[in-house]
Amino acid sequence: MSVWWPQIKAVIRLELKKTFLAKRGLWIYLVAALPVLLFIAYAVATSSQQNRSANVARRNEKPLTYQDLLAVKTGMAREEVVAILGKPSLNFHWVENRPMGPQTTLNIHHEEYRYSDGQNDLYVNMIDGKVEAIDINQGYNLGQDSIVFAGVFQFFFLRLAVFFGCLGIFMNLFRGEILDRSLHFCFLAPIRREVLTAGKFLAGLLATCAIFVTSILLQTIAFVWHFPPSARDLYLYHNHGLEHAAVYVGVTVLACVGYGAFFLVAGMLFRNPILPAAAILIWESVNPFLPAVLKQFSVIYYLKSLCPVDIPSPPGTPALLALLISNPDPVSVPTAVMGVVIVALVALYISSVQVRRMEINYTSE
Amino acid sequence: MNDRIIFEDVSKFYGEILGVNRVNLSIPPGITSLVGPNGSGKTTLMNLMTGLVRPSRGQIQVLGYKTDDPEHLFRILGYSTQFDAFPKGLTGFQFIYSYLRLAGRDAQSAEQLAWRAIEHVNLTDAATRNIAGYSKGMRQRIRLAQALSHDPKVLVLDEPLNGLDPLARSEMIALFRAAAAQGCYVILSSHILHEVDVISDQVILLSNGYVVAEGPIRSVRSEIQEHPTQILIRCDKPRELAAKMFEDEHTIEVAIHKDGRGLLLKTRDADQFYLTLNQIALNGIEIESVVPADDDVLSVYGYLIGNEEVVR
Repeated sequence: MSVWWPQIKAVIRLELKKTFLAKRGLWIYLVAALPVLLFIAYAVATSSQQNRSANVARRNEKPLTYQDLLAVKTGMAREEVVAILGKPSLNFHWVENRPMGPQTTLNIHHEEYRYSDGQNDLYVNMIDGKVEAIDINQGYNLGQDSIVFAGVFQFFFLRLAVFFGCLGIFMNLFRGEILDRSLHFCFLAPIRREVLTAGKFLAGLLATCAIFVTSILLQTIAFVWHFPPSARDLYLYHNHGLEHAAVYVGVTVLACVGYGAFFLVAGMLFRNPILPAAAILIWESVNPFLPAVLKQFSVIYYLKSLCPVDIPSPPGTPALLALLISNPDPVSVPTAVMGVVIVALVALYISSVQVRRMEINYTSE
Repeated sequence: MNDRIIFEDVSKFYGEILGVNRVNLSIPPGITSLVGPNGSGKTTLMNLMTGLVRPSRGQIQVLGYKTDDPEHLFRILGYSTQFDAFPKGLTGFQFIYSYLRLAGRDAQSAEQLAWRAIEHVNLTDAATRNIAGYSKGMRQRIRLAQALSHDPKVLVLDEPLNGLDPLARSEMIALFRAAAAQGCYVILSSHILHEVDVISDQVILLSNGYVVAEGPIRSVRSEIQEHPTQILIRCDKPRELAAKMFEDEHTIEVAIHKDGRGLLLKTRDADQFYLTLNQIALNGIEIESVVPADDDVLSVYGYLIGNEEVVR
């Protein structure tokens, strides 16, 4: 047994080199980078918007607060608006010639006033000197943004990026070597096949965790980057932001453990990765509609319960979709963690049984 | 027995296709060659011996170890397969070093063993180059080096001389002989029968998944009764000798050699022939040499299997 750990480390060294440098794995980096790019793009767009708002606020006749912006109501006269907010720093006006009959037109005077408190923008639309519509564009909304982050995490990152990333890495641990016709070198070494499997699994886990944990950390940085420092501190240190980031990292690691174990065994049992991937994806997707007993044999069932932010279903969402979005019967954190670990252990046990039965017969592959 | 490689009633089927059938073998130390045409079961036998495939029936033990116990088996066994593929991105040195580390060796001893194995196969200059850039002969040698690297007691080599130039072949043959002289079990397969003949202590002849003969080549030859033994006799009076040999009822055919200084004789009873020859030699015919003409692998292979795919 004392030789197992050095052997596992040797397997990890061999596998990591192949996994990180493999050309056929480049798409995994891309998939992991996609949500990071999304949040960077969002942060850049929001920052740009905030700069514009600050410029507008600087040109206000008087300093405004958010409450001032909320004081404007529809139906108010132009003079009332100016009395509350001062002269607008930006205004547009145009005349609409609306045809009212043969050779008769009605001139309608449109005006748009724009104010800002430096973060939030107020657009006031007036017709013939009366407020017709108002629109407040909030510079940032932590609550809303963290729900968007949670949505991207649950519905893109976990279910697609981590899922397919694990597929790409873990299915190749054995299947890739069979296709390269080099698996026999491992089988001809004085190493128990179960130890070899454990080493390969840990190598896959290290690789996926390195890629996807880095991704979720970069997503978090990109997510909080555009907040003003005060809002960022408030979110990170007083509104559980750091705690949420740590939970997202933990859930990502658990997802790699669960999906990794699934795909490790799938790589041994199936020649074509598309079939098991499709089957597992469907199984994970229909999880909310499964009976309680069957739900337990799914990774996403436990991961959803661990996610720190619930995603509310918008009013009017169809019942089936609402069921997909929400998590009506969450399990406790210890149960969820143990659930993923047990599902992974079951898959690893099947892998270890399967690896002992494996034969080298490349011609039939 | 813990000092033999034992096959007990071993069969292997790939679905409905026969790999080998009802193989019983007891392989002693020394160089043992597996000989047979393509598809005769040579590689299957080697894969069974090394646990890369499992028998459909029967049992195999290598010096007392079961083939499903890689942890112990591959401490005493090295296998150079015919698969001409390697893990990607490794140099020759890294390849051998990595699998020695996989075997549990520490970094220092793995490095020492890797360099020693590389020196054995004369690949030192190319050791730091990526294997992807190696020639076929170099790939063959690096596989051999990997199989040899941990000083195995049992060396299984599938067509080890393929792709090697004549100099490298003779170096490798010397290497196998040295290993056998130290008490190793060297099991190799080859199509090149004259090389098998030169290097083998015993042969296993395979045809269509069956072992058709096994043992030292001369004892295998002596058991083939339906083909008369051929003997080349060098003497000063070949015609007189031919006339006298025809008096022996076991003599089937006698032909004077092309150079007129000997004759080629076929007999059904080699022992009786040698007795008769001794008497003739006492009666004035000077016998220079007596050499069996068909107790080599090539002849035995031809008698038992036919001449398909034989490389002479």
